[in-house]
Amino acid sequence: MILEALEREGVEYIFGYPGGANLPIYQHLPEHPNLKHILVRHEQGAAHMADGYARASGKPGVVFATSGPGALNLVTGLCTAYMDSVPMIAITGQVVSTQVGRDAFQESDVIGATSSVTKHSYLVTRIDQLPRVIHEAFHIATTGRPGPVLIDICKDVQQADAERITPQYLDLPGYKLNGHVNLDQARQAAQALAGAERPVILAGHGVLLSHAERELMQLSEAAAAPVGTTLLGIGAFPVKHPLSLHMTGFMGTGWCLKAVQNADVLMMVGMRVDDRVTAKLSEFAPNVKTFIHVDIDESEMGKNVRPHIELVADARLALEAMLPHVGKVQADRGKWLAQIDEWREDHPLRYRHSNGQLQPQDVLIDMYRRANSEAIIVADVGQNQIWAALWWNYDRPGLFINSGGSGTMGFALPAAIGAKFGRPDLPVWCVAGEGGFVMTAQELSVAVEHQLDVKIVLLNNFSLGMVRQFQDDFYGGVRSQVDLTHMPDFVKLCEAYGLPALRVEKFEDIAPSFDAAERTKGPFLIDFRIDPEANVYPIVPLGKGLNEFREAPEYA
Amino acid sequence: MLEIKPKPAAPPLPMNGKETRIRVLSLLVEDGQNTLTKVSGVIRRRGFHVRGISVGPSRQPGRSRITLQIDHGHAEADQVRKQLERLVEVVEVEDLTGDEVHSRELIVAKVAASELEALLQRGAKVLSTGPDGTTVEFSGDADEVGDFVNELARHGIVEVVRSGPVVMRRTE
Repeated sequence: MILEALEREGVEYIFGYPGGANLPIYQHLPEHPNLKHILVRHEQGAAHMADGYARASGKPGVVFATSGPGALNLVTGLCTAYMDSVPMIAITGQVVSTQVGRDAFQESDVIGATSSVTKHSYLVTRIDQLPRVIHEAFHIATTGRPGPVLIDICKDVQQADAERITPQYLDLPGYKLNGHVNLDQARQAAQALAGAERPVILAGHGVLLSHAERELMQLSEAAAAPVGTTLLGIGAFPVKHPLSLHMTGFMGTGWCLKAVQNADVLMMVGMRVDDRVTAKLSEFAPNVKTFIHVDIDESEMGKNVRPHIELVADARLALEAMLPHVGKVQADRGKWLAQIDEWREDHPLRYRHSNGQLQPQDVLIDMYRRANSEAIIVADVGQNQIWAALWWNYDRPGLFINSGGSGTMGFALPAAIGAKFGRPDLPVWCVAGEGGFVMTAQELSVAVEHQLDVKIVLLNNFSLGMVRQFQDDFYGGVRSQVDLTHMPDFVKLCEAYGLPALRVEKFEDIAPSFDAAERTKGPFLIDFRIDPEANVYPIVPLGKGLNEFREAPEYA
Repeated sequence: MLEIKPKPAAPPLPMNGKETRIRVLSLLVEDGQNTLTKVSGVIRRRGFHVRGISVGPSRQPGRSRITLQIDHGHAEADQVRKQLERLVEVVEVEDLTGDEVHSRELIVAKVAASELEALLQRGAKVLSTGPDGTTVEFSGDADEVGDFVNELARHGIVEVVRSGPVVMRRTE
């Protein structure tokens, strides 16, 4: 009955792992050839695969796990999806309903353990609840602000006979969707933007989720307002557009941070305005007279920054409603845009070329040249993530996937595998540091088993690079527990897993190694031995305001 | 340049001459096994603090009424309502803070029989009498119940229990 319901919801892939409390589901799985089950090597990998699948395909990812440790291994993956508003359905087995609460074998309070990292969750103890619950779960996961929904199903329910299939219906009086735009506020927002001397628009993941990229560009151009994106908003606005500010936040571009800190009207669309975007909150955008916040989740209004004008609505509908009211733009706008161009000249992104070491930026620039906006890049967490975000002129949505809110190391490999299942038509590149990579490296088996064209770019600096950089700059230069000299030989590791790999230590070898990766069908790993001292710039010191961003030194 | 005033967030309210961070909310919730966990989970996770709570059935079958007195901590006052409204189990949230309300709490106390007179004068009602004392009940708003507790302290209290508040908006 569970599997039939999943078929009705249009599910194609399930990422899962069987165990005692979900065996009845697995018993019937072979009867449903339309449901392709991907056997993972660890449940966390299943959650990240479903996450990557959902972000790449736009469809909800589905995860199976058994009770107890199986379900609890999903928690990090659920949190990752929850923080980044990714639609996901996790179906976990629970012990027999009469055993619940008796500390049965592999029993755990899954609802209790996951309620703060799911949009909603269900414990199903009776078969007649099941059709409604599954239908509701998909509805909740995919509508409004998307998020993961967990369904914990007792084993006896999985085994129960269900001759009558209850018709599907939704019974959700407490689930409210904010879609409609308050036209009055939309008009006010448009006029404030047009009338501003120094407007800035910041775009987050919500713009991508509601497919508002076209409306964003129209509004930006109509109001002559420059646009920066958050880390998760990358792709919402083409970086090469003259009005682009590239990425904002405490590792954002200097010209974007200057623009934000000097803006008089700041419009934030589809974003949470978290601490990585504001840095020190009391010093965030100090010259703004009018904050405009557009988000579908009402609780984001004033959670971190109190807006003057708030639009609780779908980003696309809100921007569309604003467009006709932009009207005449403040006459002096050219001065502001010229000022931003000056900042762009004064604070370029730069990196060290000349110390004889392999530079991560050189690796990524070559990778991106090949990807040419026709490939999905999945980054892990740490320096690799920020380099991957900054060193390409993203001009299309949906091509950059990473764990922004939760910052989950180990995300990239399984998420890249999921992304490839979701978009088999696009090349998929996985960018990771060696620290995060080994956290979920067991999923290489899945890539090999399904011969997935996932190319892994390992930026190996033998240390926890971002932590090392923070320790160097903000924690008294004490390098503590960041040394990762003792790691496997990644080429041999890949050989053991059954995929080809190369090690690259010199600039000249970058291109040939990528040639080899592109020539090879199936997964491929390149172990780039990068400069262990390479840093991420710009960076705002922890606890400081955005004004105080530090830039890369002027290298000789 | 257009002058626009910030949309005011619910401000802290003066109460007894002091500013208070306490919000009074009335929630209509689905009567399910996960509901109370989820409500209390949101309160803990967002840094709020429960000062008073009462739960009972509502007029609608399958739904309960939760009355909450809650400290919103460092968050904006309105965050309490907004965060609770995100829960699918929560059907309706009414913020009664600062409104004209009937707010009642119940107290049940067992006292030495000789001490009864003063309590009865305050409006206490006798529930039972036994060899080890008399059990009385008293209801009133928070101040009245507080005064009643102070009065009890002067007597020989054997045992006392006090409920959370139930609150309804005045409509007259």
